[in-house]
Amino acid sequence: MKRIRISRCGTRFPLLLALPRPTCRYTAIHRNTTPHNHRIQTRLQSGVAFADSYSSGPPSTEISPLTKTPLEALPSPHPSPAATSAKLSALRARLSLPPRFPLQTLARALIHPSADSNPAFNNASLSILGSNLLGYYTTEHLLCNYPRLPMSVVFAAQYAYIGPKALTTIASEWGIEAAAEPGGEVDPGLLQFKRLRSGDSLPDVLQNRKPRKWNITTTHKILTSDEFGSAMQRKEAQESQAQPVPLEEAAQSFVRALIGSLHLHLGRPFVKRFYRDHFLSRHLDIDKLFDFRTPTRDLSRLCAREGFEAPVARLISETGRRSRHPVFVVGVFSGKDQLGEGSGASLDEARVRAAAAALKGWYLYKPLEVTVPSSMEGEIDQSKWKPNVVDCGEVIV
Amino acid sequence: MASCKTLLRAIPRSSKPSYFPLQSCRHESTTRRHKKLLHLPEASSYTPDKSAPTLIFNPPSSEPNVYRTPLKFLPKDDRRRQLYSAAVNLSTQAALRKKTSAIAQPGTPLSTSSFLPPKPSSSLPPAVRQQYDKKYHLKDKDIEEIRRLRLEDPDKWTRVRLAEKFGCSQFFVGMVVKAPEKAERVERDHQKSRNRWGQRRRIAREDRVRRRESWGRDV
Repeated sequence: MKRIRISRCGTRFPLLLALPRPTCRYTAIHRNTTPHNHRIQTRLQSGVAFADSYSSGPPSTEISPLTKTPLEALPSPHPSPAATSAKLSALRARLSLPPRFPLQTLARALIHPSADSNPAFNNASLSILGSNLLGYYTTEHLLCNYPRLPMSVVFAAQYAYIGPKALTTIASEWGIEAAAEPGGEVDPGLLQFKRLRSGDSLPDVLQNRKPRKWNITTTHKILTSDEFGSAMQRKEAQESQAQPVPLEEAAQSFVRALIGSLHLHLGRPFVKRFYRDHFLSRHLDIDKLFDFRTPTRDLSRLCAREGFEAPVARLISETGRRSRHPVFVVGVFSGKDQLGEGSGASLDEARVRAAAAALKGWYLYKPLEVTVPSSMEGEIDQSKWKPNVVDCGEVIV
Repeated sequence: MASCKTLLRAIPRSSKPSYFPLQSCRHESTTRRHKKLLHLPEASSYTPDKSAPTLIFNPPSSEPNVYRTPLKFLPKDDRRRQLYSAAVNLSTQAALRKKTSAIAQPGTPLSTSSFLPPKPSSSLPPAVRQQYDKKYHLKDKDIEEIRRLRLEDPDKWTRVRLAEKFGCSQFFVGMVVKAPEKAERVERDHQKSRNRWGQRRRIAREDRVRRRESWGRDV
């Protein structure tokens, strides 16, 4: 098996934790009791060791886990008041999440790394998991339902479904409210992040101005770029800690973290249902994402590639040829079959529109039966699996 | 057919003096005649022949849906192929079976031919542009000749003249040889005349370019 190349080491990761803080009070309380499960015990011990190694750094700020710290000293709300937070309960009910989904996790998903840089308390890890899950489900939905889509349209559709703007909209539709300033005394039902002041420029990590390379091909985009095929490179999210961010950034990270935590707590079938209800239910006109520059040339290349007769534009009907507002209806025919139809105020316009419509008819082909790969995960009975259509690719002129 | 008749009647008669004997001519002078004239028969889907309630499906005329894949673009093993071909067969048969000659209906002009229209599959609409076959007749020495002439005197041997001389397209001449200094000069002249445009003309031209770009974008 091929070994994955390691580009970064994990050693610089704990250095970011500048300020030591008391460990989670749950672990502090449970350390005194005797846990029944040995697996929980080992996990708690490792967590304590983790906390102790940090508190042993600068001795002046050392705080014992058992001493009472004021809530204002914490960078983000403590997990314990989450169970009694009305806002969190309301959010859980609004999203129709089952009661076995803990409110503490929901509260943790609301804490952006800019508010709390401790990875044990913020949502960075959950949002990485959630963004991968969202990308996986969206990609498989698009590729299985529209197997002939060009790659640029797939990227645009991904951006429309789970892009930053879509996630921000979803978060605002869910009624996520932001705290004015993060802190331990704030209600845990509010989105905790350090707010970027209006008029300030974006922090460096959010400005994706650095181009990856001077020549970016579609292959490069597939291989090296993110799921939206962006040509600009963003710096790593690790470095964005403790810097003020706009509301959109924090709202997206909450949506991703919620998906990740749902996957951890409630399992894959629930996440798939949740994804279908909240993301796939949003209507996207994929036919509006196309932008053909030379549709007539593309169509004749396509017909030559597929072995059809060369496309011929034929005038189906017209009105007012000598008037100020003529309308021509032109169809593109290959042999005796009509491939597409378009109308326009000039013969050229109608011809080009008809060719674009024919190309859309080709690219927007949808198979009748679609079985996405993730629906077969963990299934014993594999007889329901139907192989999906794999197309040979878009037209390259 | 009734609409044809009303249209014929709506055309005003010419006022030239005629040498034929005078004929009586009815004008649409009253409101009643106007209303009668403008009354068009309802679409056939709105006037079902059964008295029982039926489903009325009469969508407005619109462009075809791009999500409906044409028959030719379906893969070989798609089940929609059989469905589409069966539907086409059925509709053709039904149309030919139901159709009667137009002269059987009252109110048909006498000039109408009594033949039925041809079958849908037998003739195609006229082509928008003249169809041609690519000839591939130019040899290497012709291409060398095109290059030599164009580079020698690009003002005399323009793309149009070379295309006429060698019987190829201007696009092909442009592919074979480029005259960058001439293109630059022409572009400079165009830019000079573009700079003389007023505001209205510039806006109109820019809008035209924008509309042209939208042809391939929205259907």
